[in-house]
Amino acid sequence: MRPLHTLLSTCICSLVKKTVFFLTFTLAVLLSCTKDPKTEVAPLGLGDSSEKVVFDPSQVPYPTLSAYRFFKLPLAAQRPVAEVLPYEPISALFTDYAEKARFVWMPPGAKATYNGDGNVLQFPENSVLIKNFYYDGVQPGNTRRIIETRILFKRNGQWEFADYVWNAEQTEAFLDMNGSTTPVTWTDENGTTRSISYRIPSAGECQMCHKIGNTPVPIGPKPQNLNADLAYRDGVRNQLKKWVEHGFLEPGYPKNIMTTVAWDDPTEPLALRARSYLDANCAHCHAPERQCSYRAVRFEYNANGAAANQGICMEPEEPVEPSMTYNIAPGNVARSMVHYRMNTNDEAVRMPLIGRSMIHTEGVALISQYIQSLNQTCN
Amino acid sequence: MNKLSSLLIAGLMGSLPALAQDNCATAIPITAGTYVIDTIDGPQVPLPVCATGGNTATRGEWYVYTAPANVSVTVTSDLPENVAVTPGLDTRVHVYTGSCGSLTCYDGDDDAGSDYLSLALFNLQAGQSVYIAWDNRWESRGFSFSVTEGPPFSEAVTFTNVTVPVTGTLRAAVDMNNDGLDDVVGINTTTIDNVAYTTGVTIAYQQNGGGFSAVSYPTAQIPNTPSWSLCAGDLDGNGWNDLLIAGGSKVTLLFADADGNGFSNDTTYNQYVFCQRSNMVDINNDGLLDAFSCHDVQPNVYFINNGTGTFTFYQGGLGDTPNGGNYGSIWTDIDGDGDVDMFIAKCRGGNQVTSTDQFHRNNGDGTFTEVAAQYNLANFTQTWSAAWGDFDNDGDMDVMVGASSFSAGGHKLMRNDGNTFTDVTAGSGYDTFTGTNIEHITHDFNNDGYLDIMGGGNTIMMNNGDMTFTPNPVSFDVGAVGDLDNDGYMDIQTGGTARINNGVGNNYIRIIPQGTVSNKNAIGARVTITTASGTQIRDIRSGDGFRYMSYLAAHFGLGQDEEVLQVTVRFPSGIVNTIDNPSINGTLTVVEDINTSITNATKEPLVLFPVPTADLLFISGDYNVNQPVRVFDLNGKLVKQAVVNGNHITVGGLAPGMYVVEVQTNDGPVQRSFAKE
Repeated sequence: MRPLHTLLSTCICSLVKKTVFFLTFTLAVLLSCTKDPKTEVAPLGLGDSSEKVVFDPSQVPYPTLSAYRFFKLPLAAQRPVAEVLPYEPISALFTDYAEKARFVWMPPGAKATYNGDGNVLQFPENSVLIKNFYYDGVQPGNTRRIIETRILFKRNGQWEFADYVWNAEQTEAFLDMNGSTTPVTWTDENGTTRSISYRIPSAGECQMCHKIGNTPVPIGPKPQNLNADLAYRDGVRNQLKKWVEHGFLEPGYPKNIMTTVAWDDPTEPLALRARSYLDANCAHCHAPERQCSYRAVRFEYNANGAAANQGICMEPEEPVEPSMTYNIAPGNVARSMVHYRMNTNDEAVRMPLIGRSMIHTEGVALISQYIQSLNQTCN
Repeated sequence: MNKLSSLLIAGLMGSLPALAQDNCATAIPITAGTYVIDTIDGPQVPLPVCATGGNTATRGEWYVYTAPANVSVTVTSDLPENVAVTPGLDTRVHVYTGSCGSLTCYDGDDDAGSDYLSLALFNLQAGQSVYIAWDNRWESRGFSFSVTEGPPFSEAVTFTNVTVPVTGTLRAAVDMNNDGLDDVVGINTTTIDNVAYTTGVTIAYQQNGGGFSAVSYPTAQIPNTPSWSLCAGDLDGNGWNDLLIAGGSKVTLLFADADGNGFSNDTTYNQYVFCQRSNMVDINNDGLLDAFSCHDVQPNVYFINNGTGTFTFYQGGLGDTPNGGNYGSIWTDIDGDGDVDMFIAKCRGGNQVTSTDQFHRNNGDGTFTEVAAQYNLANFTQTWSAAWGDFDNDGDMDVMVGASSFSAGGHKLMRNDGNTFTDVTAGSGYDTFTGTNIEHITHDFNNDGYLDIMGGGNTIMMNNGDMTFTPNPVSFDVGAVGDLDNDGYMDIQTGGTARINNGVGNNYIRIIPQGTVSNKNAIGARVTITTASGTQIRDIRSGDGFRYMSYLAAHFGLGQDEEVLQVTVRFPSGIVNTIDNPSINGTLTVVEDINTSITNATKEPLVLFPVPTADLLFISGDYNVNQPVRVFDLNGKLVKQAVVNGNHITVGGLAPGMYVVEVQTNDGPVQRSFAKE
């Protein structure tokens, strides 16, 4: 019998845009979901109405994750209650190969509103974004280990951070804003075993990426990142449409949303994959009003189509490695600072500066391929 | 196979012997002209590497050139026929003096030409020969290059590359074994399971008489590396310099053993610190050296020395911007009141509050007050370091706040005018200098008696003596600075290469203060010299610029002055020792001595200004800063009591009218009256 959480993860992670994939994949998901009696979890939106999220703005952040009742018990199964919707950005930030399960909750009757393709939705008061970080194949037991659950909640018009660190028994997670490290060794689906010292962020580290100016903000839930299908328990839906159906989003948002693509989908155009990757992994700092907006590159999706914003033929301002002639040297990976900084673990050189301790081999390969595809002449 | 042809004489010469230029011994003699390389395939790889880009080349092509007169020589592949090639050519050149068995880098370049083409420019004396070698670091395709001659260009300072036998991450050029000679320090690291560890310290000890001898000291496996910065000083006062490793998540103190033959780390401090610039300094002026680190994303941290081999960790009170933005801290006596202040060069996108520089003025009682705005230093230029020095030799510390990016303003040269700083960037050379860097340091590189500044663009900005600066290009970036050949000229260590300053025939003096009451390194001491040309000052600092640790001494160029009239060292304790007419062109050690201390050598009259005042009342003269100042109204009623904040008190809260200020002097209380408007 397959453990429930494996199936859940399959459903959540199978994000499909192509029609052909859509049909076959949906069938597969539905079939596998109905074959296993353990999957007879009430579909979202039709669940047990007694499973109410508990969110008292005067009391949050609670000392424990279970107190919010976002999830059914056992907590580690990561089964959201009916009020809570899973979501997934089309391209995600690389964080040392951690798996992520993301969820959103809003108070009954409250709705988010569209605020531009590339801007985070305008969330109502007391909205909560929930993100579980976990690994599968964790050694020695080859088990799943949920490490932390990061929560962003909006109180009095301001987003606030809360991070919950899971106990060894995987029965509860406890509020801890001081940051810590924990060793993780896991074997991935290809049989590769990796070890890291996993960094659970402190409040200051959360703020480093999650801000505009000095104001805390979410990063992922933008229409450009959500305008794609997700396999929910009750079927595949476009996430924005699902949010509307679920009562989380005001209808009437624009039809033609400039949408990112899955960076690892080889059927998408290479340039869009690279741009989507740069948006997800770099734009939280390299965009206006962000941590590193003083550098001239602009990696947010609605700006990074311009060669100048990508750093093509742009000389780096900081002489980290003098032989990197340009941030992106067309056709010349060995002379490209973007590649150099992605392809190192030196903590004073690597990009992103925090959030990873290992090189994202697949991401580096994508950007290399993209740089090789460019043929502009500089000067 | 004709591998080389002079375009000018190819027809006459016909085919040259194959492979003639494949190695140094068979280098083709060339003169000014244009030459063609078919393919870079000679077996002798040009070594040592004289340009950036590492040592992965596998082939080379060799030429030898002899200057017909005193000339400047340009060797370049940046020629129209190369630019026209698609995809673009990528070349690298090395220029050597010496013999084939013992080559020394003289110049070299990777891509100073357009795109990835090379351009090396250097002066040669008549009859001087250099080997010119191209390699295939980037590719092996052939190309043309030219050698052209011009009149020699003037260089204020030049350097010769010397390989230093040290391994690891090069971070420091500082005397580690107390022989007065600056050593080179590398931190050995390894990565296990994606965690970077420090595993040892390698010190290349400068030998008496020249050269280095490296010794590696293994350490415990420490999960922290000096990725962001390193600083040094004798924290525990055992006579050997200790190290502070400032990494991306913590601070590690690395203590030298009692015999100076090893290091052991303190494992106490596991607080999360996203380190940037770190420093050692006696923050509370108790004679014990403390440690400080900028925090990128939180308030800054410091470690107060308990004097018992332990330190107490603090976060708060020295730069408390909630989300950090602290990059370049430097400790120096900015207001000239005898205690050490701190300036923080700050940077942060989209946030002028966080990116606004801070000046934490030492109140003299172990507390600090942030007063950047009052001194016109609250600038939000995006900066990672500021170079502090008395650029105009008028006795106070000026600053060049170096931009890391021009997105929020450029470089700012600020003149210290006592109670404020005046922006004198316009016309200084820094208004037109476009090099950016995270490193900005100041030392007198040509020993002319004026502090020069090094920042971005592989350029030393030479101080013209009038608060203007002239670019002097060099072939390397900022590194750790020390006198690595003990010739009185400051050298620069970058990577494994020491850039040895060739000097220009000026005089110098190097002064090493040694604390007895104060911390042993006398970090925070103010050293003043007087010569016929005037007065110069230096402060002893552990940690300037952004990343490196430079020499712990005061280095003064003297220009053509043949004598130093007086050396004054004001130790952090307040003890002032003077030496008259010391020998020059050598090192003078000044041991802190309370018995010969001179204080209040000249009594200055007590003056209050401005009068009337609206808010700040400045007090100058000889008075006891640490004793409270009392303010009375004309009825004799005490209306305010305050500690002098550097050189002033705040009276903004008083009603307009006449008041009397009473300050304490060694001769008892003294009263002066002032008007509050």
